[in-house]
Amino acid sequence: MTRESPILRLIQNLTGTADEMTFIQTKSGIHKPQTLADTVRPDFPILHREVHGKPLVYLDNAATSQKPHAVIHALEHYYSHYNSNVHRGVHTLSSEATDAYEGAREKIAKFVNAASSQEIIYARNATEAINLVAYSWGLSNLQRGDEVILTVMEHHSNLIPWQLVAQKTGARLQFVQLTPEEEFDFGHYQSLVNEKTKLVSVSHVSNTLGCINPIKDIVGLAHQYGAKVLVDACQSAPHLPLDVQDLDCDWLVASGHKMCAPTGIGFLYGKLNLLRSMPPFLGGGEMIADVFLENSTYADLPHKFEAGTPAIAEAIALGAAVDYLTNIGMDKIHAYEAELTTYLFEKLIQIPQVKIYGPKPPKDRAALASFTSGDVHPHDLSTMLDQSGIAIRAGHHCTQPLHRFIKAQSTARASLYFYNTKEEIDTFIASLQESIEFFDSIFS
Amino acid sequence: MNTTNLRDLYQQVILEHYKKPKHRGKTNPVDRYQKGHNPSCGDTIELTLQLDPNGDRVTDIKFEGEGCAIALASVDLMAGALVGKTIDEALDAIGTFQQMMKGEGEFPKEQRKLNVMKGVAQFPVRIKCANLGWHTLKAALQMTGEAKLADFVSNEAEL
Repeated sequence: MTRESPILRLIQNLTGTADEMTFIQTKSGIHKPQTLADTVRPDFPILHREVHGKPLVYLDNAATSQKPHAVIHALEHYYSHYNSNVHRGVHTLSSEATDAYEGAREKIAKFVNAASSQEIIYARNATEAINLVAYSWGLSNLQRGDEVILTVMEHHSNLIPWQLVAQKTGARLQFVQLTPEEEFDFGHYQSLVNEKTKLVSVSHVSNTLGCINPIKDIVGLAHQYGAKVLVDACQSAPHLPLDVQDLDCDWLVASGHKMCAPTGIGFLYGKLNLLRSMPPFLGGGEMIADVFLENSTYADLPHKFEAGTPAIAEAIALGAAVDYLTNIGMDKIHAYEAELTTYLFEKLIQIPQVKIYGPKPPKDRAALASFTSGDVHPHDLSTMLDQSGIAIRAGHHCTQPLHRFIKAQSTARASLYFYNTKEEIDTFIASLQESIEFFDSIFS
Repeated sequence: MNTTNLRDLYQQVILEHYKKPKHRGKTNPVDRYQKGHNPSCGDTIELTLQLDPNGDRVTDIKFEGEGCAIALASVDLMAGALVGKTIDEALDAIGTFQQMMKGEGEFPKEQRKLNVMKGVAQFPVRIKCANLGWHTLKAALQMTGEAKLADFVSNEAEL
């Protein structure tokens, strides 16, 4: 790396971002700006392995993200130095574990701009967090004649819990459909909301279409009718700056493993008074105040909803992941991913057999592309790409009703994160083209 | 691409059976009907069987549905190989196929055509695809009573 060259100085002057920009020297001696991925890739050990003799190209980030050293280290450090149960003992280890566990909660609260860390409940993942709201709030607040609005693009995790609650309470499920561009149809949503609407539960970003839903407007309209809004932020928390107070949503859920943290940890954000009014979900240790044989009183928030020994190491590592993302900056992550997305779509659109679902850039959208490729079944395609070290998802991505709606039996999905590069997209596109040609040659 | 094994597999199997399946459709009459699906990917097939009057021999097998090349080629090959077999013989063949998917054994000379599927065993995540039709046939053969709109059988539990 050098900052002395006159050409460099010239580029820096022209771009006007000399202070922020760093440059790397390529083999040919030409300097190119260092991308975010160039900076962070050394932090992710797994990105340097090979698959079938080829460098791994990991494009399945919407399913789960890879983990940086900082997160792996947080797990290792906890088990090596202060493994102990939280909120129990008075010994040093327990106090250190409790501090780290509660410290991580503070970090998450800050990450989503919650008013208080009491509004952050640890859960196993977003699925468990949605089930918490469905069973605790849903079963005690919904009744026959009430309406719950979901969308046809929901992940099964934001569909099945409400089907179960609807079956038990007699509440009716309504589904917002898609515009011709395959985005949230706000007009249709407006036609569905009414005085009977008690809840709107919607994904922030679709894991299949990649559209970013207008949460503020959705919340604004729902609140006019006194309905609550739950936001599934699984595909937004890892990629976009989040501000729950600005969104004004009543609940928001996310899974840690999609945002550089380990599996087995996620969180529920809820407005304090709302969480206070909700009965416990799971009963057991940790969530109690006074216990008698016949009845008990419950702990205050957030512990009322955290029965049993929690995933302590995972929660602490989620805190480390939040630190890692915050240090990079969510704005920077989103901007870099937008650049990658534009590049991915430019390349994909050039392949005639490829049909992409969801809105296209320059529309602001998530860094993923779900597509079909002519006669090549996504499974067969995925197996071919895997032989070149490229990991994509093939199937229904846990959105079977959406696939029925867009009339695709299954799709292939390439999903990016801030450590992916344009070179990786080139590798993917080349292998995709080769696979399509291979199948075409067999079929013709 | 380092895909020699895969290319061999696809070339042998797909050519004949994926693009130009011989056993697509519905049997007439439908003596057995069974839907099978692969919940992890959504692939679904509908299998219909025609049995002889005694109900102990399979006289026709047809399939409909959507799936990947491996799933559809496998079910088409299966139908071709098992028409005319007794129910016990067909059940034996299903056992042999499922063993073969575990990398153990293969079909005898007279059914050697089925051995082209052997290569799938090298791709563990695709074994479910190859097994979809066979698993569905097993459920159809073990069904008792009249042909009816049976529930899906999922091949998640096996293999």
